[in-house]
This record gives sequence, C-alpha cells and structure tokens, in this order.
Amino acid sequence: MIEEIRFSKEHEWVVIEEGLARIGISDFAQKQLGDIVSVELPKIGSKFKQMQPMAIIDSIKASSDIYCPLSGEVVEINEGLLEHPEWINQSPYELGWIAKINPSDIKEFGSMMTKEQYENFVGKIK
Amino acid sequence: MKLIFEYEEQTTGYLSDENISIGLPNELIRNELPLPNVSEIEVIRHYTNLSKKNFGVDLGFYPLGSCTMKYNPKINEDVAALEGFRNLHPLSKENCIQGSLQLMWELEQYLKEITGMDTFSLQPAAGAQGELLGLMIAKVYFKQKNKKRAKVIIPDSAHGTNPATAAMCKYETIVIPSDIRGNIDLQKFKQSLNDEIAVVMLTNPNTLGLFEENILEVCDLAHNNGTLMYCDGANMNALLGITRPGDQGFDMIHLNLHKSFSTPHGGGGPGAGVLGVKSFLSDYLPLPRIIKQNNKYIFDNTKEKSVGKIRSFYGNFGMLVRACSYIMSWGSNIRKVSEHAVLNANYLLSLLKEVYDLPYNRKCAHEFVISSEKFGEKSALNIAKRLLDYGFHPPTIYFPLIVQEALMIEPTETESKETLDRFAFVLRSIAHELRENPQVVNGAPYTTPVGRLDEITAARKPNLRWAPPK
Amino acid sequence: MDFIPTTEKDRNEMLKQIGVNSIDDLVKEFKPAFTRKLNLPEPMSEFELIQHMQMLSKKNIILKYFLGAGSYNHYIPSAVNHLLMRGEFSTGYTPYQAEISQGTLQAMYEFQSFICLLTGMDVANASLYDGASALSEAVLLSSSYNRRNHIFVNEGLHPQYFEVLKTYCNAADLELTNEIDDKTSCVIAQNPDFFGNIENLRYLAERAHKVGALFVICVVEPTSLAILKAPGDHGADIVVGEGQSFGIPINFGGPYLGFMAVRDFLLKKIPGRVCGMTTDNKGNKGFVLTFQAREQHIRRERATSNITTNQGLMALASTIYLALMGRNGLNTVAKLSYGRAHLLQEKLVGAGFEALNKKPFYNEFVVRAPKSSKKITSSLFKKGILGGLELGDDKMLICCTEMNTVQDIESFVSVIGEVS
Repeated sequence: MIEEIRFSKEHEWVVIEEGLARIGISDFAQKQLGDIVSVELPKIGSKFKQMQPMAIIDSIKASSDIYCPLSGEVVEINEGLLEHPEWINQSPYELGWIAKINPSDIKEFGSMMTKEQYENFVGKIK
Repeated sequence: MKLIFEYEEQTTGYLSDENISIGLPNELIRNELPLPNVSEIEVIRHYTNLSKKNFGVDLGFYPLGSCTMKYNPKINEDVAALEGFRNLHPLSKENCIQGSLQLMWELEQYLKEITGMDTFSLQPAAGAQGELLGLMIAKVYFKQKNKKRAKVIIPDSAHGTNPATAAMCKYETIVIPSDIRGNIDLQKFKQSLNDEIAVVMLTNPNTLGLFEENILEVCDLAHNNGTLMYCDGANMNALLGITRPGDQGFDMIHLNLHKSFSTPHGGGGPGAGVLGVKSFLSDYLPLPRIIKQNNKYIFDNTKEKSVGKIRSFYGNFGMLVRACSYIMSWGSNIRKVSEHAVLNANYLLSLLKEVYDLPYNRKCAHEFVISSEKFGEKSALNIAKRLLDYGFHPPTIYFPLIVQEALMIEPTETESKETLDRFAFVLRSIAHELRENPQVVNGAPYTTPVGRLDEITAARKPNLRWAPPK
Repeated sequence: MDFIPTTEKDRNEMLKQIGVNSIDDLVKEFKPAFTRKLNLPEPMSEFELIQHMQMLSKKNIILKYFLGAGSYNHYIPSAVNHLLMRGEFSTGYTPYQAEISQGTLQAMYEFQSFICLLTGMDVANASLYDGASALSEAVLLSSSYNRRNHIFVNEGLHPQYFEVLKTYCNAADLELTNEIDDKTSCVIAQNPDFFGNIENLRYLAERAHKVGALFVICVVEPTSLAILKAPGDHGADIVVGEGQSFGIPINFGGPYLGFMAVRDFLLKKIPGRVCGMTTDNKGNKGFVLTFQAREQHIRRERATSNITTNQGLMALASTIYLALMGRNGLNTVAKLSYGRAHLLQEKLVGAGFEALNKKPFYNEFVVRAPKSSKKITSSLFKKGILGGLELGDDKMLICCTEMNTVQDIESFVSVIGEVS
C-alpha cells in the first residue's frame, strides 16, 4: 500500500485519496467475522459523527456494526459488495472497501492508530 | 428427495361434482393457480419419508440447552384433539364455551400457585411474545405514571430475545457483565441503576444454568429504584415447587409452556409464552380477561389500563390444553420434576467436568455449560456434529456468548441414568478422538441423511422457493 | 402420572457420584425456599385425566357455524393429522442441526414455496404467530426499511387485527394516521376485507408508491387465493395473513398460522426463520436455515423482530393440506365456499334481508335483518346453528365454507321464516 493507512479501535481502516476518506475493515476483523454473507451499506449523502455506526456486516454466525472512523458525509459506496460480500474476506483493503466519505475534520485522521500501533493493538487482543 | 412440486400430474380425491360458476369481474380473479395435483398415497409417502430424515425427543436423547426437550406425554395430544375443544369457534357465545374458559381459568390458577404471581394472561403465542408483552406493560405503566424511563438492564449472558424485545419497544439496552461466579455483577449493577432504568430482565436460573445467588438483593435494589423486575422464565424447569419467582421479588414472568410444561416443540413451534404479573400490574394485561362469577366463566373487557391485544382471540389454546393436562397429571407432586431435572444435570456434569472445562465451578441447576476451548477453534461445532453419528442430538453450542466454545447441556428429568451414562461415555470418547485423531471429529457427521451443508452459499446465493418452470 | 424413569437405586448412585447426600443439597441455594407443598389438585392417572378433560370439553357446545370473522371452519383431510402426529415431526425443535432435520427443513421450503405461489410474491418466511401479529410485524419491517413512522390503514381491517396493530404501534412509537403522505411508512389493506368485500387494490398501491410508502395486503381467509387475483398482482410489497384455513382446526382461536411474503428487495428485512436450498459436502441437495444474522440470537438489540419459536407444526399442517388438496382440491374448496355464501345471501334477500355489500364478495357478507338479529340468532341456536356475528343495528356478518351444505342453508332459511 502506497497511501498512509490508519486504523480505529473498532478495526476500521481509512486512507485519504484526493481529499476523500476511503473506509473498510481490517484483515484481522474479516478473519474474526468469518465468511461474510451480506452487507448493509449507508446511503449516499448521509452524515456521521466519528465512530457512529454506518453499516452492518453479517457473517454466518455474527452481525457486526461498522463505525464511521471519521466525521463526514458519505459520497460513494461500494455497491459491488451487495452482490459480492465475499470481497471483504478476499481483499479487505482493495476490492472490499465499504464507503468513501468527505471528512469534515481531517485532524481526526491524525489521531487514529498508525499501522504499527494497530498491529500492536491487535497483538494484545490475541 | 424431490419436492412436492416435482411430481407428475395425478388425479386427486378432493373434487366436487357441483358446478359453480364464479361471477366475479376479470380484474379480480386469477388466471392460473400453479399448484401440483398429487394423489393421497404419494403425499403420505412424501411426508412420511421426509419425517424419517428428522430427529425428535421420540427418537433419542435431545439435551439442547435452554430448550427443555423433555418427553411430551401422548395423552396430552388425545386431550387436545377432543372434539369439544378442537371444533369450537372462538367467537361462540359465552354459554357455548364454558368448558374452554374453565380450563383456561384453572390453568391460570395453577400457574399463579407455581410462580407466586397474582394474575396471568394466556395470550402470548411464544416466549418472545411474552417478553414483548412484559415490556409493553412496563412502557404503558411508566407512561401512565408520567415517568420517562427509556432503558432496560440485561446481563451479558441473556438470551438474544431480551435485547431484541427491548429494541421493539424502543428501549435502550444496558448490558451488565457476569461476575466470576456467573452471577450478574452486583457492583456494576448498582452503578448502572438510576432513574432512567425501567426494567431489569433476568433469567433465573441464568443461561449458564446457575441460580442467581444475589437475586433477593438485586430485586430489592431495583424496587428501591422504582424499577420493575422481569423474569425470563425459560428455565422454570429447575424451580417447580422449590422456589417461586414471585417470592424472589419478580414483578413479571413469562413461562414457555412448551419447555417446562411439556407441550411438543413441533419442529419450531407452536409454543405458548404466558405472562404472569403481580397484582399492581394486573389491569395492564391484554383483553379479554377471564373471570369466574357465580360458577360461570365470563370475558371481562372493562380494564381501561390494558395495553391492548397482542394477537387475535385468546392465545394458542391447543397448547394451553396440553400444558394444563401435564400439570394435572403431576398435580401437587410436580416438585419431583424439577428435583430430577437438577439431579440429572448435576450427575451428567459430574461425569464430564474432568474431561471438559467448567467455566464456573458450582453446582448447576437444571442445565450446565462446559467449554471445549482447549480442543481448539470450532471444536464445539465439531463435537456437535460428531454426536450425530452416535445418535444424539447435540447440546446448544456457542451460547451463552460469554463462554468460548460453549456446550450448553440440559438433560431434563425424563432421561434415565442409563441414557446419561451412555451420553457421558460418548462425549468422553469424542474428547479422546479429539486428542488422538481430530480429523475424525472435524469431518463428522458420516451417518446422517446429508453431510455438512454449505451455509455460506445458501446465504450468498439464496434459493428460498420453488418456482414453476417458465 | 409420573414421567421420570429414575429408580431409587439409580438416584442413590447418582447422588453418590455427585458427592451429595440428597437432592435437597443440590437445591439449597435456590432462594427463597418454598417450604409448603404446592396447592395443586391431586395427581391424576391417565384414565382420570381423560375423563376429567372429556367432561370439560363436553361443557362446550359445538354448533353448525355460519361464522368466520378470522376463524374458518374448513374440512381437514384425515391424512393431515396422521402425518402431523409423527413424533419425528412433532417432537423436534427448530432445525439448527440441519443434518438431522432435513424433513422439517424441506417441508419449510415447500411451505415458503406454496405461500409465494398463492400470494404472487418472491420470498416467504417459515411462519409467524398468527395473522394479526404478522400484520404488526409487517409494519415494523416497513418502518425499519424506510425509517418512517406513520401507518395508514384502509377501512375494512378485522377489528382484532386493528387492536393488535395498535398495541404494537404504541410500543414501537409508530402512529396510525388518516393521511397518505411523505411520512407514511406503509399503507395496509385487507382483501377480502372484514365485511367480505373484494376490490381491485391497484389504486391504493399506486397511492402508496407515489409517496414512497410500502403497500401491505393482509389476507385473513386464504382459500380465497385459489380464485382471486394474487395480492402480488395488486402491487403489494408485503403480503401477510392467517393460514388457519389451510388444514388447521378452529380450536377456539389457536394455535393458528401467521405468514409473510415480500418482494425481493425486502428479503434481508423479513422477520423470522427462512429456509434455503444448498448442497452438502458431497454435492447432494439439502436445506438449511439461512440469513440467521437477521435474527435475534445473533443480531440481538439490532434485530427487526424478536421472534424465535414460530408456528412450525402449523406451517407443516398447511403444507400437507395444500399438497393433499392440490390445485383441483383447493379450487373446489374456494368455489364451494363462494357458491354456498352466494346461495345463502340470495335466499336471505328473498326472505326480506337487506344485502349490504356494495362490492363483490367471496364467502362472507353482511346483511341487515328484517327482524331483531338477536331473536334470529337465538332461534338459530335452538336448531344448533351459529348464524353469524352480530354487528349491531341488526346487521350480521355471515360466512359459508364447503362445510355448510345446501341442506344446512335451507334449515338456516327456514328458521328465519319461523321467527316472529
């Protein structure tokens, strides 16, 4: 990955591309959830505060809220996930992205965990 | 096996010679009715053969925790099928329904005595609907008192229905963790109590199969806070005649008649989830109520505080008949049921606790939870599947959520020592297999009509119905 | 009766193995201890029990019913009960262990298919409690789908269904309103309605869809579906109803059978259990419960419904009923019900009753009696007939099914002639 990636405590990742924040869930999170069978995406134009639930991911045995890691407005969603929820399992950082938001406070990005900090954080959970 | 829709066209017996023409305009009638015509003998064979692919209490041991899969006495089926019960229209006049009303009224009296509650409604169709009614009552009760209470306390070991029910009534759920003895954490409970808490929902014994040791204190604390105590009575099979939820301090309880009172589970229902309340909540129960006046039974529709109706007519009457028969069979000896449910559970636990891990080292009530975590990920699932090869229904697995690789075992009182010994032997053998030859367990079952099914494709590419070929 | 197999010898060995002296030692922490004997009747033998229950059941009076109003007295083929009574069906629970529940699961799949074929919808669930609570679940689904909280109910909804709906709406902070506008979550219509009327509901579907609301059709007498246009063809997004007419006895009001079917776009929102077809690890066809992540045991406070135990065996009863009747049998039931009701209405009009249905009807209709309806029903009662539901102002709601023979209809009418 070329862009800088940051993580939330709820295992969402964010990269900033052309001023927009692309959001997904981490490889660790998809492994925890297991085989994902459906995704409920947010509506374009909906606004979230940082760490408000924005989407729901269902696997065979679990249902999990996805929190919006940065405050802002949803400008694009990955509609391909509706047909191919398994992309989150197969490619959590590429094909399996969930939404793009227009962040209202970019400082929030700076306060999120770096890749190293997140790996450390996940190591402790394990 | 083919679907009923895949039989070739046959002649059927349900035809009339009467020639009736339908005088309805075209815009109201259908052009075609795409149903199959299959002869009676083929229908009988089809469903008889399907039944052979099923497992039930009549076929073998079914220790499915939290579901109380006890023997369902056959006499209760005969009673429920009596012409006078079965063919009675629910909107008949009161002079024509005295037998059914008497049965319902008497069942209410028995349930009041068993639970220590003051009034019962037999209307809820299942436990989850009983819970819903309970929280609806709480909501109306606080509204009429002009109190804004928008939250419900639920322990982390609770059945999923509890938080789902709270959400249906727009209550916010506050989850309280369990302590190291498996009770609700008393300190955390105290900290969470405030004037926003409408109801505390507890299952007792809880879903770990443990009696809440602080139940009296929890009820006192809640009541001093103006909060109602709701008992999820799913585990009543541990308590009959031994202790009463009403005496413990609960204000409401639902009972699953298909659990403690032996009505058959029917492959997923119907059940009955009757709700009992203390007298200060009686007027909130759904209408109509049944009252006895001068040796006549009549409907009372006069209670203005009532929350309303939650289903048509008066409840799953046929299940009420079966439960009433069961209670009358046991009569005043019914304590023996719970004594033996607790005995069987503790006996089985004593045979298994050396081999599997026991997360809370206490005597259990009518069921218990062990963990197979030491055998690795998915071991509870694999053990469950392996049990199928030995002719047992597996325990409830992965519940309660707070125990990793949980196996929740409820033997019930109707199982013999011989069955329990055999089940324990098999579970010990599977533990041995897991150590020596785990792939045998991980690949199970081998002897069932189908092997492990692909649930992932079922969910991702849903095929939920047959459709006529185009 | 005693249903416990444990002998005293067993009991002693078990207590010893546990390491306690008595059962009382096992329950001593269950507090507060209940110290007296429960005040319940003396235990009964099987013989005593059946005698007692026969006595109770005979206190009920069974009549010839010309009454429906949400509970329909259709003929149930003998084979239905014989199959239902098989312990393999009746003594299992929810088919979580698919490998040993293929019978129940395939029957669920067939039930879902029958409901879809009859309603003209895409997907059905495996049952809800009854028609009235199913309608309430439809409203919760609708509000969770479009996040609106106003509900519009067309006239003619069964009054008990309306009562139940009101109770659920109060709990869920939903409001029953008289307008259809951009706050409306769904528009509800019963067809045939409580008074028996049938109409083309297209116009109502259009009004609902125009403001972005869902259109819900409620079917209380489902044998009507054999001849009437499918609710899906009226533009329904959700169809709910009561399946009791399909092989389930009237049984003093329960257990009955709620059903729900929806359009594909609502698939992930449908409450309750859903069975799907898949394959096993050897490629054989098989069935499993699917989309369980919607349900309360996984989604907990985020589930749309709390339903768990449903009406499984009742769904099986109607599946078997529909299989036995088939296309021809169900058509016969519907035609006879329609024909008998129209015959009776014609004869009553001839006897001076006023027909009040302004629209076509199926097997229920409303008349105004020329004499006191109380007097009429009590004269009918003396002849063993329950002549309908009194609606006030001498109005009566009357129903016929294939069980009301031409002879019954004649004796109904002749009693009327005798009332002074």
